[in-house]
Amino acid sequence: MKSYFDITGDGGSDVLGQVARQRARIKENLAGVHHRVAIASGKGGVGKSTLTMQIALALRAGGSRVTILDADLNGPSQARLGGLSHAPLVPGPDGLSVPASRAGIGILSMGTMIPESKALEFDSVAEGDSHVWRSTREFAALADLLATVAWGNLDFLLIDLPPGAERTFQYAEFFGESTAFVLVTLPSALARGVVSRSVSALRRAPNKILGYIENMSGYLCPGCGQVKPLFPTADGIDLGLTHLGSVPFDPQLAALCDAGEPMPADSPSEALAATRSIASRLIQELEKAS
Amino acid sequence: MKFLCVPCDSPMKMSQASPPERGSISVVYECPECFHTMAMLTNPMETQLVQSLGVKIGPASADEKAAGAKGNGCPFSGMAEEMSDDRGDAAEFAWTPAAEKRLGNIPSFVRAVARTGIEKYARENGFSQVDEQVLDQAKDYFGM
Repeated sequence: MKSYFDITGDGGSDVLGQVARQRARIKENLAGVHHRVAIASGKGGVGKSTLTMQIALALRAGGSRVTILDADLNGPSQARLGGLSHAPLVPGPDGLSVPASRAGIGILSMGTMIPESKALEFDSVAEGDSHVWRSTREFAALADLLATVAWGNLDFLLIDLPPGAERTFQYAEFFGESTAFVLVTLPSALARGVVSRSVSALRRAPNKILGYIENMSGYLCPGCGQVKPLFPTADGIDLGLTHLGSVPFDPQLAALCDAGEPMPADSPSEALAATRSIASRLIQELEKAS
Repeated sequence: MKFLCVPCDSPMKMSQASPPERGSISVVYECPECFHTMAMLTNPMETQLVQSLGVKIGPASADEKAAGAKGNGCPFSGMAEEMSDDRGDAAEFAWTPAAEKRLGNIPSFVRAVARTGIEKYARENGFSQVDEQVLDQAKDYFGM
């Protein structure tokens, strides 16, 4: 009797062919993107989204064409960070156009499609048990976006990932090995421990890990003018990655992020200087990797 | 998934797929050697798993009917309807065939929200219908 592998095709729907054709469309559609970099952590609340936007702004200030794909479909924040919560989706001649922030950053985020008071829901013919199919549906939605958005010619496509150590690995598989990774942590042992798990998970993927960023590495006290620690330092947990830089917590930056405004280019903010330095380091690491 | 006619040792071919009824799809396979037929009947969970992959099963018409059986596959359809209701204007906005064609080229799960947003933009900017000029203008205003 024939086995599964003795039979060519599936007799009708050609499901594997459909998947292969979509992968080919995605590859073709992203052909104009020079660098794909995913900003990940594993740990939630470490500032991945904020840093993604700040790095995008720093790269843009250097003359690069940058778009952010907010891959966190359930907790999108890039639309607010870019001040694009009310931008309509526009069908262009070559696919879905990417809305741009006032600073010239392209932003594709569910936040432009769903008000913050609403949760993302998918229609389903199955009653309940969404945990069985939900993740598959989300990746299919992302694949659909990758295949049909008019990404154009970009120097950088930054991908803002949702938290979850194992999920980070799933995204590495999904986006493919040409997507490099940057991990974000806090100085605390709690955060570094979770990020360390993500590193371990990512090591199973062929993707290049460019390094890590330590966010909220301190707080500039407006009273004494000194940078003081926000978290106890976890010197004992070595992530085994290149340290791309550390970004201190800046209340002014936090307020601007809430308002969807970029930090003024002439601001003396240490956070701004740090993200610019990280953007430069990122370019160096990408050049080394290529 | 593949089906084998055991007596003929021959792979069976899909001959028809029926739209889902209460979440169940019926797909009929036929052996090209002995013409024996069999039906695969999915339960709603299996149907949903396949739909979640974003692939089409059987003839396109069946798939389209599948999407229409419960919602249209768009996660924002309800939201788009709400946004539509919010405007307090139930009049339908006319789209030219060329504009509709562009809308058809974007992911199906964002079409409803895109349509609503563009119509809002067109209304606020004094257009009476949505054509390629409106879309290009919106793209220039909001896009890269």
